Formats: sequence, structure tokens, C-alpha cells
Amino acid sequence: MRILTVACSIAALMVATPLSAQTLNVATAGDQNMVDYVKDYLGPMFEKSHPGVKVVSVGTGAGDSGSQKIFEKLDAQKSAAASDFDVVVIHQKAAGTMVKEGLLAKYTDKVDTAKLVSSETAKNSLGADVSGFVIPMFQSQTALAYNADMLKSPPATYAELKDWAKKNPKQFGYNGIKGGMSGVAFVAGWVYAFGGDADKLIKGPYDPAVKATWDGALADLKDFNKSVVITPGNAGTLDMLNRGEIAIGPVWVDMFYSWQADGKLPPNMKLKLASPGMPGQPMYYAVPEKTAHRKLAEEFIALATSPQVQADGIVKKFNWYPGIDAKNLEGKLDQAAWNKLFTDITPTDLSKNAKAFPIAPYFNDILEGYEKKVAN
Amino acid sequence: MIRLASTAKAALAAALLTAFAFVLIGPLANLALWSVAERWYTPYKLPVTYGTRYWEQVFRPTGDAMASLGTSVWIAVLTVIVALALSIPAGYALARLKLPVRALFMVMFLLPQAFPSVAIYINVARVFYQIGINGTVFAVVLVHAAHGLVYSVWIAAAAFAAVDKDLELAARNIGASPMRTFVTVTLPLAAPGIIASGIFVFLESLDEFTGTFFVGVPQVTTLPLLLYNAAMGGNYQVASITALILLVPSVLFMLFIERFLRADVLAKVGA
Amino acid sequence: MSQRQLALILIAPGLLLVAALFLYPLGFSLVSAFTRPDGSLTLEWFAKAFELYSGDIVFTVIIVLASCLLTALAAIAIAGTLTLGENRWVVGTLKALYRWPLFIPFIVAAQCMRTFLAKNGLMNNTFVSLGLMDPLSATSFLDWRGIIATFVWKQTPFVALLLAGALASIDRATLEAGRNLGASRLRVLVELALPQVMPTLLVALVLSFVTMLSVLSVPMMVSGSQPTMLTVDMAFRINAYGDYATANALGVITYLISAGAAILYLKRGMSKEAAP
Repeated sequence: MRILTVACSIAALMVATPLSAQTLNVATAGDQNMVDYVKDYLGPMFEKSHPGVKVVSVGTGAGDSGSQKIFEKLDAQKSAAASDFDVVVIHQKAAGTMVKEGLLAKYTDKVDTAKLVSSETAKNSLGADVSGFVIPMFQSQTALAYNADMLKSPPATYAELKDWAKKNPKQFGYNGIKGGMSGVAFVAGWVYAFGGDADKLIKGPYDPAVKATWDGALADLKDFNKSVVITPGNAGTLDMLNRGEIAIGPVWVDMFYSWQADGKLPPNMKLKLASPGMPGQPMYYAVPEKTAHRKLAEEFIALATSPQVQADGIVKKFNWYPGIDAKNLEGKLDQAAWNKLFTDITPTDLSKNAKAFPIAPYFNDILEGYEKKVAN
Repeated sequence: MIRLASTAKAALAAALLTAFAFVLIGPLANLALWSVAERWYTPYKLPVTYGTRYWEQVFRPTGDAMASLGTSVWIAVLTVIVALALSIPAGYALARLKLPVRALFMVMFLLPQAFPSVAIYINVARVFYQIGINGTVFAVVLVHAAHGLVYSVWIAAAAFAAVDKDLELAARNIGASPMRTFVTVTLPLAAPGIIASGIFVFLESLDEFTGTFFVGVPQVTTLPLLLYNAAMGGNYQVASITALILLVPSVLFMLFIERFLRADVLAKVGA
Repeated sequence: MSQRQLALILIAPGLLLVAALFLYPLGFSLVSAFTRPDGSLTLEWFAKAFELYSGDIVFTVIIVLASCLLTALAAIAIAGTLTLGENRWVVGTLKALYRWPLFIPFIVAAQCMRTFLAKNGLMNNTFVSLGLMDPLSATSFLDWRGIIATFVWKQTPFVALLLAGALASIDRATLEAGRNLGASRLRVLVELALPQVMPTLLVALVLSFVTMLSVLSVPMMVSGSQPTMLTVDMAFRINAYGDYATANALGVITYLISAGAAILYLKRGMSKEAAP
């Protein structure tokens, strides 16, 4: 009995941690640097302009699994009074699902900075209509990172890469499809290059018969895999580049820059956007339908997508491509910082070879095709 | 001749021990090196520049590493208390009393270790939201306790089994009630083993992040969550530092519990 | 009140916690693994799991079994030296060293190993610097070998700790007798000591087996994804497709594999119960 009493009083002690009414919880699906961006940069700035508000930044892990966790958490809270998160930073795939499941609020008409975004990705997320629900935080892109010391003239196209990898076995590395999105992007780019019409996969409409036309491309990929290294994850690819175990591999441009800034990549690493194109995607700011602090959340996003913050925080601090249209950043940023974004990959490269991911059903077909025909 | 042989033997032992130390310490040395490496890349075999930049980053004023560490340790200690409170009666029953399908019960406690758990935690979170305890330390402690219970129950059962039955009988013969016998004879004798089982529960709780995320975040954040983010994202410096910080309470707890680890108790684990 | 009832009452709170926080939610997973969205019963998720991941199922079982075997050997070597070692210096050093990996979470162990076992990682670099290895012959261990190495590294201290405890408590007299009759220490360990502590070893291995099966971070971070372990496939099913049904089917398969290990344990328990 005594144990029970003690247990009860301990339990009571533990439950008694009420949440202050003015806490804004921001959940970020992304690497630590994105979580810290909110914690150290946006949060304090927002707290200064909103006395009494505390911004709490939570990371849920990198990649789609981070977004999936946010989705699962919000989904588990469907029947609760208010959701735990007030602002979420999520990937494209999760954004589509969450809008469909009614977990997100339509908020962009309340936020002026939404007018600064004209890109297609703000309305369409892998074929799902998300207009009104999201504003891009930043745009990211995959590209081939290579060690300029080991590789003077990197392959410029997928076809060249295919031949190059044959001649230089185990010098190209990517992380398959289960270890993160940079590998997935590489595979999608492969299908764009050898499987037919990229535009159709990106714009739709969906036709289940299309996947049969990729058989040749996937068989080639299986063959290609024999002469490459499968790395453990997005970070694993960068890791092997760091140690000089591979000479070239697909990476996220934003990760590439933060690894270089952290001294985890040789200074002579460069990027190359292979043609006919590799996918990229934005991270979105969204507001959960059941947030208890809708107004604060909107103001937070308005701050985060304002031209000055996008210039100082997104471009200058991290070398990320801005989420809002570039022309709005004019005058907010010195030319040097802006140019640094385009050292290796020029704006022309971007406009020509930066693609979106395929719409969700094609996306899944590619992944499952890979599992069936390449991996198993 | 004999002297030569024994020297050779000692040399062999030393060589084996060195190899063993390398295998054990190597990965840990790696950890320590990364925690102070500011730049480290090919072709350099060791960090190019050393520094404490990332230590400063982890302990920066807006970072909440220390607060998270405090929460983690507090949760781990509470988890140990809850797990022990549940496993003392359970362990006694499993060790000393006639119980139908005893082995099945033992396996029941093994289950939460066995099933890969994301799907489970989503549903737990759903239930916790309904009863309104999600986001509390209490909820996190419950989840950790369920997960660590296998260690405490199995080891508590072993500890009770190791207590000499004759001593209990003697106490009963001089007129002590069963409860009194338990409190004054059995429990003190089994206590070392039971307390020792705490270390596994403690470590288990200190490692856990999936459950914490679903039932604790954002109100409760622990250090393993930070560690998980940093490690998955390949932020080696921050992950290494976080891991080293987590090592401190683990080792302290181990040293504290060391005094209670008794060989004959460990011998009967799971028996 | 009969002894049985008392026993059940005492065990109830613990069981209740497991039932509420594990069995009940597990029920949802089982339902999702065996039903279609419309609620009808089906085995199609299992068919899909086998079609796509049959290779990974085999891979997982082999990895975990191999890791358990190596863990057992390493733990026996360590625990045996601790109990029967005659050189105090060796025993002391070993005792101070062997437990450290116990405190390292799996995810950190994975991260350590990823940079340690790589082709140009710390291990190969050390060998090359010491002149033990030619730089060109360095290979990467970041595949199945890396997974096994990490598991063994992490689990050996746990098994060794329990085993050393068990060995320390067996009757020294038999062991001394064996030594006096001229048996080598290895023989004493294998023929006299080990049979007495088999139950402890078995239990420690069952716990390790089950733990290794449910770890995601090690296969995810140490090796490339082809082939890979079932936990990675489960996470992938959920994260890439939002496909909980197949993920749960894979979970059930993992669970059956664990059950295989648990049955070993159960059988032993049953036979012991039957004995007087």
C-alpha cells in the first residue's frame, strides 16, 4: 500500500508541469542546423518583437522520416483539443498527405509575404494541391559533389556518368533509396534521363502504364550499381567524400555547404548539376489545423519569410536558395553573398537542370520499381 | 627455458590485451577526436584543426543541452524507481511462488524489447492524448519503464531466487509473519541484485528517443533526441559531444551501483 | 488466498503496464497487418513483404545469428579470463576495459563505427601508419561486416557482465579439482565451467538477439541499403509510402523471428517446471 501512495505522489509531482500559454512550438523536420536556425536565429528575433512569447524549437530528424514523424504526431492528436506544434517545417511528400488528411490550416492569405512567392512549388507539392497551406522556407537542390583534386573534368550528364563509373569502378557512390533523399533524387534523375519523358512525370497526369517503360532504365541501373558504392545515408555519401573513398556522389546542396562550413569536407570539393536534370525540393512552413496559437504562428512565418530574414538567414548564413522569389531580396544583400550561391552551379544551370520530383504516384512507382528490379 | 616460455606467454597476453584494447577504445577514441575536431578531411589521417568551437556551440546560452541532460537523468531515475516498484513483487512471484505458465509470463516482459516500436508508440501517443497525459514526464517515464521492465523483472526474479530459503524458514519458525519475513529477511538479501538491475533500466531509459518523441515532445525534450538528430544528420561533432555528456551520468550510476552487483545474483538472471 | 492467487496479484501491476503500453497498441498493428483498408481479412501485405524483402529477411536472420554467435564467443573469452585468469594485471586491465561499450547508445556506436571501420577510417589508418597494412589493400567494412562488428562490440559487455557474474558464483572446488588433475584452463572453462552457466548465457543471448533485431540506427548508419535489415525496410515503408500495413506485416515477421528465440527460452523454462 505504501508503495502505491508513494507512486501516486510521484506521479502527481510529475504531471504538474503546465505549459505556459505563450509558448510557440516550432517543429522542424531537418538536420540540426535547421533546428538551430529556429532556436538561435528566428526564435530570439521573434521573442524580441513579441515580449512574453517563448519559441521552442524541436527537431524531428532529417529527411522524409522527420516529416513523417510530424505527420504521425499530428495524426495521433486528431481527437485532442489542441495540437502540440504551432508551426511545422516539412517536406513536400508529407505536405501533400497532411493537407489531404486535413491536418494543416489554410493560412497564407493572412500572411503578406505569401505574395512574394510565385514558384509552382508553393501551390503544387508532388501533384497535390497545397496552395494556401504552405510557404517555402528555402529551396534545396541535389547535385553531384566531387573532389576537384581527384577529378579534373567531372561527368556533365547522366550518360557520361554511366560510362565514367564503368571505367572507374567504386569511385561513384550514392545511398540507394532507403538511406535518404539524395539517393532517391539520383534515382529519379536516372529515370528522367533514361526512362523517357521527365515533364510528364513531374506534371502528370498519372498513367499507371508508364512505369513499364522504365524497365530498360532500371535494368541499366542494376548493372550500374555493380560498379558503384552504396553509401550509408545522405550523410554517408558526404562522409565518404570527406575521406576520399569516393570521388563523386549526389548530395543536397544545403548539406554540402554546411558540411564544408563545419570543416567536414575538403576545401576543394565542387558541385555539378548533371543534365538532363536532378530533382530538388523546398522545405515548407505550415500551420497545423489545431494549433492554439494560430495568430502567433502566422506572425512567426511572416517574419521567417520576410525579405530581410530570407536574405540574412537563408542566403547569407547557410547558402540556401531563398524560399521567396529572388527579386525580393535585391538591396537586402551584398552581391558577394548572393554570388556565392552560384559559384559552382550557375543560374543558367539551375533554370535548365533543376527539376522537381515526380508527382506522388510516379514517385512511388519509381521507388517500388527500384525495390523490385534493382535491389531485390 | 621455463623463464623464456613464461616471458613468451606474458608477451602473448600483452599482445592480445593490446588488440582487445584497440578494438574497444578505437571507436571511443574516434568519438573523442571528433568532439574536438574543427576541421577533418582527406587526406589527413587526424583532424586538421582542433578546437572547442562545437563544445561552445552545444553549451551556448540558447542551446538547452544542460536542461535536456537534467530532464534525461530525472526521467531515467524515475524510470528506475517505477520499474523497481513493479518488478519487486513481480520478481518475487516469479521466483518464489507457484505460478501457472511461469515461462510465458517471463516472456511477456520480454515483448516490448522485441517488437520494432514506431508503430506501437504512435498508438500509445494516441491513447495518452485521449487521457491527457501526453507531453508530461510521467508519460515518458511510463513508456521507458515498460521498455526496461524486462531487465528489472528478470534480474529481480534472479535475486529472489538466490536468497537462501533456509533463512526465510528460520525466520518463519521463530514466529515472523510472511510479510515481516519478506521485509526483514528476503528483501534485504535480494536488494543488491534488485538495485543492480537498475543500471540496465537506467541505461535503457537514457538511450531511448523514439518513445520520448511521441509521448514527450515538445514539452519534454531529452538529450538523446538532440543526439539522434545530430547523429542522423551526420553532425559528428555535436553528436560526439552529446554522447560524451551522456556518458557521465551512465558511468556515475554504474559506479554507484557497482557496490551492489553481486556475482551470485547475476548467476541466476532469467533462471 | 491461495499461493497462485497471491502470485498473480503480485505480478499484475507489471503485467498491466506491459499490457496497456505494449499489448494493446500491438493489437492495432496486428489488425493493420492482416486487414485491407475496408476491414476485410487479407494476407496480401505479407505477400508483398515476401515479394520485396525476402532477401532482407534472410539477411536479417543471418546477421543477428552471426552477431549472437560472435558475441557469445567474445563474452566467454572475456568472462573466462576474468574468472580463471591467473595474471592479476591482465585480469585487472580487462575488468577495467571491457564494460565501456555498455554505456554507448546504439546510435552513437553506429556513428563511431561508421567513421572507424571505413576504408580510410581510423582503424585502417592506424594499421597503415603502424606499417601493418599496405594502403592499397585497405578495404571498407561498411557492409554486413560493419553491422556485425557494431552489434558484437555493443552487446559483448552486456553478455560478458552477466556471464562473469555467473561464473564467479559456481563452485570453485570443481574447477580447482580440474586444474589439479592437469586440465588446461581452456578445458576447465569449456568442459567444467560453461555447462553450469549455460542458462545465464542463453538468457543473455536471447535478450541480445531480440535487441539487435529491433535496432534501426545500426543498419541504417553503418551499411549501405542493399541488402539491409528489416527495421530499415519497415522505416522505409512508412516514410516513403506511408504504408503501415506492409510495415506492420514486416513487424510481425520480425516478431516471429524473436519468438523463435523466445521459444528456446520457453522450452528450457517448461522442462524446468516439469522437473521437481
